[in-house]
Amino acid sequence: MEEPILKIKDLYYGYGNGAPALDGVSVNIHAGEKIAVIGSNGAGKSTFFLNANGVLKPDHGEISYRGIPITKKNLKELRKNIGIVFQDADNQIVASTVMAEVGFGPMNLKLPKEEVLQRVDEALTYMNILEFKDRAPHYLSGGEKKRVSIADIIAMKSDVIIFDEPTAALDPVNAEMLEDVLAKLGSEGKTILISTHDVDFAYRWAERAIVFCQGKIIADGTPLEIFQNEKVLKLANLKRPMMLDVYDLLVENKLLRDEKIYPKSIEAFKEMLEIINNF
Amino acid sequence: MENIIKSYLDEMISSKVPQEVHMHSNAIKPHHHHKIDHKHGEGSSIDFYAYNSKIRHWNPTFKVLLSVLTLLLCIVLNNHYVSVAVIIAMTYLTVVKGGLPLRAYISVLMIPITFILLGTVTIGIDFSSEPIGQYNLNLGFCYVFTSQAKLWAMAFLILKVFGAISAMEMMALSTPSSEIIGVLRKAHVPKLIVELMYIIYRYIFILMDVHTKMKNAAESRLGFCDFKTSCSTFGNIASNMLIVSLKKATAYYQAMEARGYDGDLVFLEQTGSVKVSQLVFTTGFLAGLILLWYLTN
Amino acid sequence: MNVKEKRFVAVVAVLALAFGTTPVANAMHIMEGYLPPAFCIAWGVICIPFLVAGYLSIKKTLNENRKAITILAMAGAYIFVISSLKIPSVTGSCSHMTGTGLGAILFGPAAVSILGLIVLLFQSILLAHGGLTTLGANTFSMAIAGPFVAFGIYKLGLKLKINKHVVIFLAAALGDFFTYLITSFQLAMAYPSETGGIAASSLKFLAVFAPTQLPLAIIEGILTVVIIIGLETYASSELTDLGYLAGGTK
Repeated sequence: MEEPILKIKDLYYGYGNGAPALDGVSVNIHAGEKIAVIGSNGAGKSTFFLNANGVLKPDHGEISYRGIPITKKNLKELRKNIGIVFQDADNQIVASTVMAEVGFGPMNLKLPKEEVLQRVDEALTYMNILEFKDRAPHYLSGGEKKRVSIADIIAMKSDVIIFDEPTAALDPVNAEMLEDVLAKLGSEGKTILISTHDVDFAYRWAERAIVFCQGKIIADGTPLEIFQNEKVLKLANLKRPMMLDVYDLLVENKLLRDEKIYPKSIEAFKEMLEIINNF
Repeated sequence: MENIIKSYLDEMISSKVPQEVHMHSNAIKPHHHHKIDHKHGEGSSIDFYAYNSKIRHWNPTFKVLLSVLTLLLCIVLNNHYVSVAVIIAMTYLTVVKGGLPLRAYISVLMIPITFILLGTVTIGIDFSSEPIGQYNLNLGFCYVFTSQAKLWAMAFLILKVFGAISAMEMMALSTPSSEIIGVLRKAHVPKLIVELMYIIYRYIFILMDVHTKMKNAAESRLGFCDFKTSCSTFGNIASNMLIVSLKKATAYYQAMEARGYDGDLVFLEQTGSVKVSQLVFTTGFLAGLILLWYLTN
Repeated sequence: MNVKEKRFVAVVAVLALAFGTTPVANAMHIMEGYLPPAFCIAWGVICIPFLVAGYLSIKKTLNENRKAITILAMAGAYIFVISSLKIPSVTGSCSHMTGTGLGAILFGPAAVSILGLIVLLFQSILLAHGGLTTLGANTFSMAIAGPFVAFGIYKLGLKLKINKHVVIFLAAALGDFFTYLITSFQLAMAYPSETGGIAASSLKFLAVFAPTQLPLAIIEGILTVVIIIGLETYASSELTDLGYLAGGTK
């Protein structure tokens, strides 16, 4: 197998108040993976992200990016290549115009001004908010701020993008916009990690799921494996996705032959029914 | 009591206006700031007007310099003809060129009216044990007096103050604070101060949001039903706001670091260049002010 | 009364009525255009040593801990927002805290001098309270004199082991009161009375602004105590965070 893009080994991190927030976390992340990071509140997901990005320094443990171990000297490399879209856009937005905001990351990368301007335009076009360029973030709505905060990271052209609970506090239309963006980013080969409490979304979107519980990774596998594992679900305070429940119920009641197809979305479900009906 | 609740409601609504209007921000909708005596919640509206000004794209350094030079001339020349000329020119720029509704403009100019009236009257009248001056009033133990000359001086002072305010508001109502800070940076104000100003400006609006939410929550539980309750609610909201904001401060710093911030805050700025015609008009205007002063002195 | 007197009384009555109904202006910012150039410059120059001290103190804090910049900025934004909020009042008029006493107690007077300067600049740009040319005079009264007095009273009171809440009340109220004294004096120096000079003029300004400023000082004191009690109850750890900010000012 190819070299993981991000290799994390034996990570420990404590905030200095009781139990460690990360208690021996090891995980390999490969380029182009779509990973859902799930687990109850306070399980260590956000701490893990901040460590992966180099904002928090682990008490001990090792992080390598594309095979190069991260030390104090090349920390910037980590921040440049791994971007985080924070849960609360207000916590992330620092500048007072959208242009300056989206340009903040590229400016910190010390890119020439022309390139920064170009990247800002690209990122805003990508998020479909080019007309916001001269607006002030404080007059934008929640969904618009979220788009700006995503454009922030797109402008940095990170290979790995982490979304910390992106669906929280978004209305259905904006949640849909988010999924479109995720699909687009995925098709461009970006590695994406998303922490979420939305099990339906995780089941539908992710190729791999990592479950955190009390600072440890307690499960790592395909969403189907994870959500069929009652023990893990119980430990991590999770519920089964609706699509999985519906499928199992149909099978249980002999309304459906168990073909182990496990549709993940309504569309896939429809397709499955059509295939079965055509038999 | 009714007053308190009403005024809190007013403030609540007014602090919300910009967010509600942003959908159609190209046209500034008339909203309820127009009562001339309305004094609060104006903070966000000046900022809001600045973002929507039609002369916002003018080079900020040019606007700041024009405003400051006009302001200085208005004060240094200390001449009522100059004051009137400044008021007319600045109102023209702000209202006609900038497209700000006249009523909104007047309501902004009227914000310091109490101070102006109180301050000016204090200057205009004097006390004496003798009935001197052209107009005087016996208060029993002394006389309050004033004179024609003093009243004129008061009027001229008011003109000068309004001239100065209109010059400053020309800048404030057409240049968002972030751009003004950018001008300060170019003027070599210490980097630390400029950085602090940028972040403070951003945080002001975050805290205002936090405050609106907390106040609404308190209001919904009758937190402002009488004076004593109002005081304790106000205090509780204020202390809570500090706690929330300090907790957030760490998160903000982490978010900045996550995007490669390493202690050197630089924002991307893109400003239009100054047109020759603008420079010509400005020079002409400033020279005209001096000439006016020279001719009338 | 002769005709002139009658006219004068009428004018005074109208003005008095107007003040009775118009809301009170924010604290006592000297407005743009009020001070002659010499005074603008002089007050600015007087501020410089304090601002330099504040600048160095902030710089030292930030060199030790870069993360303090978000906390400092929050402190500045907090002082701004607190001073722009309408405070409860009995008459229904509209007045504001200065927030400087609170700032001095929480963040230390040196840091507040710089933060206060920035806040005053934003107040003039965003709220039209105060002005650019009067920035020096306003900075001296509100960001330097008031906070230093408040901080001095606070430290002295603690040393004398007076009840902490009483001390905080006194510090905030007297800090506010001192700001009002200084502002009146600043106005009087620029506009001395014909008959009594600066002293008489100071008295005039003090008298004219007293009805609005004295209750305000007391309310500011009460609110500051309520805020500090709230902070002590819920935020001891955050107060420790601030502790080092204030510590940098000694």
